[in-house]
Amino acid sequence: MRLADLQRRLGRCLLEGRSDPAVLERLADPPEQRERRLAVYRNNVRHALLSVLEAAFPVVRQLVGAECFAATMLAFVARHPPGQPVLYRYGDRLPDFLADFSPLAEPWPWLPDVARLEWARNEALFAPEAEPLTPARLAAVPPADLPGWRPSLHPSARLLGSIWPVHAIWDAHQPEGGALEAVELDQAESVLVWRQAGTVRQRPLQPGEWALLIALAAKRPLAQAVEAAAGQDANFDFPVALARLLGAAVLVAPNPESGGHELGDAPDDHFVVRRPVADREERRR
Amino acid sequence: MIHARDRAAFPARAGIGLRHPHLPAFLAAPQPVAWLEAHSENYLAPGGPRVAALERLRGDYPLSCHGVGLSLGSAQGLDRAHLARLRALYDRLEPELISEHLAWTTLPDGIFLADLLPLPYTREAFEAVAANVDLAQGVLGRRLLVENPSAYVRFAEADWDEAGFLTELTRRTGCGLLLDVNNLYVSAINRGDDPAAPLDRLPLAAVEEIHIAGHARVAIAGGELLIDDHGSAVADPVWSLLAAALARAGPRPVLVEWDTDIPALPVLLAQAERAERYLREASDAAG
Repeated sequence: MRLADLQRRLGRCLLEGRSDPAVLERLADPPEQRERRLAVYRNNVRHALLSVLEAAFPVVRQLVGAECFAATMLAFVARHPPGQPVLYRYGDRLPDFLADFSPLAEPWPWLPDVARLEWARNEALFAPEAEPLTPARLAAVPPADLPGWRPSLHPSARLLGSIWPVHAIWDAHQPEGGALEAVELDQAESVLVWRQAGTVRQRPLQPGEWALLIALAAKRPLAQAVEAAAGQDANFDFPVALARLLGAAVLVAPNPESGGHELGDAPDDHFVVRRPVADREERRR
Repeated sequence: MIHARDRAAFPARAGIGLRHPHLPAFLAAPQPVAWLEAHSENYLAPGGPRVAALERLRGDYPLSCHGVGLSLGSAQGLDRAHLARLRALYDRLEPELISEHLAWTTLPDGIFLADLLPLPYTREAFEAVAANVDLAQGVLGRRLLVENPSAYVRFAEADWDEAGFLTELTRRTGCGLLLDVNNLYVSAINRGDDPAAPLDRLPLAAVEEIHIAGHARVAIAGGELLIDDHGSAVADPVWSLLAAALARAGPRPVLVEWDTDIPALPVLLAQAERAERYLREASDAAG
């Protein structure tokens, strides 16, 4: 058997958890031990990928329980094995997989959005660095230029709109988090995730802030972004919102240097999911 | 041909594998360890606190970068995109040593299996590995150390045993060896061979780094299988094998690896201190 055939066949055995007589025949070990010996590799593959997914989706794991999580991840790994060896990027397809996985999506319809939030946190952790916009830098912009100025979001920033209280569910599964009983499931939440001083942070957004950040992520000028925010919330207080965003290092100056990074360059990368936002707006009407 | 670097550039001392739970301790204070090894694939992100931590620590400790994803044993050749990522990382960090495994991890369609899978030691596999090592050393612009794997199976078809295959590989490509003493032990016991026997036949002059780690034992029909899980302290017979390897090869950088059930840092540092004692003995014996 050619090496390429052997590798293809062995790879399939390991991923799909089945036996292949043509592979077993190539081994020199005692026949009664061959399956067990190959099972070491199968367990290693599964354990390695399960560990990566456990680290990226700890709240999903708490929600469904460790055993159910492990069984679901086996199905995910068989369907979507990693396509390259950089495993901090493995798991991006899990939220959509969970949405289509009826044994979990029916009892826990919010689970895919919790997974989207956790994936946003994972992306934020590994996104490129960028100098945050400081009040001093902003003050140096001539006032006449401000309406047309286009500050953008830090490369780590992610905007997640959900029809579920996705931040509250996440928070109820943190060591110092809120009470699970206090989560109101009919409460929709929009969440900002970002990295500040090396730590991933998140907070739910008011409709005005959400509209402002969506507009800035789309590289629209400041005046238009403020207008969009005021359109969502008549009481939107721009100076207060701006001070808060500057203090949290969420904004960067226009046209940040882009160093050919693999994550977070395109404005679209800031949007974790768009469709549920539309759904939510429809539901509100 | 890429030549061996000056051995004096890297200390023949004990190092530890840098793991995420220990980053805060390293950032807070200098730790009593001579050098660090990082898994290359864990530091390929464009930013974030882990990459920042390694870039900072790199200034304070000699560094070895250990790749787990290049798949030197793949019949289809190397993933050029991954090779380019590694090149960029190594250009940035300038590690004194870089290494990969005599194994394969990646299928022809790019699927990554996240484990170091076994090769038959055939002429066909040799030509594939040698071409891959040549390409890797050319693109990375550095001498690559190739690590002997831990094996749970043996292929019936073989033109060499592992020591013969690695000897031929260092001769053909000029690559160095990363001698994993725990793997040597695990593979030999799993084959029913003498773990020390390969020390007579491996090209020890090419060894630029040594690994030690813990292993587990499981029962199988008609015996026992050792599993290279890096999840416990180094076993006594592996320490003995380390002493034998150092006695023959002379002092070399020795790395303690611990990857599952990662202990508190002092436990790992104590293993490195024990390795230092073996290194001092080898150094005294060498005069």
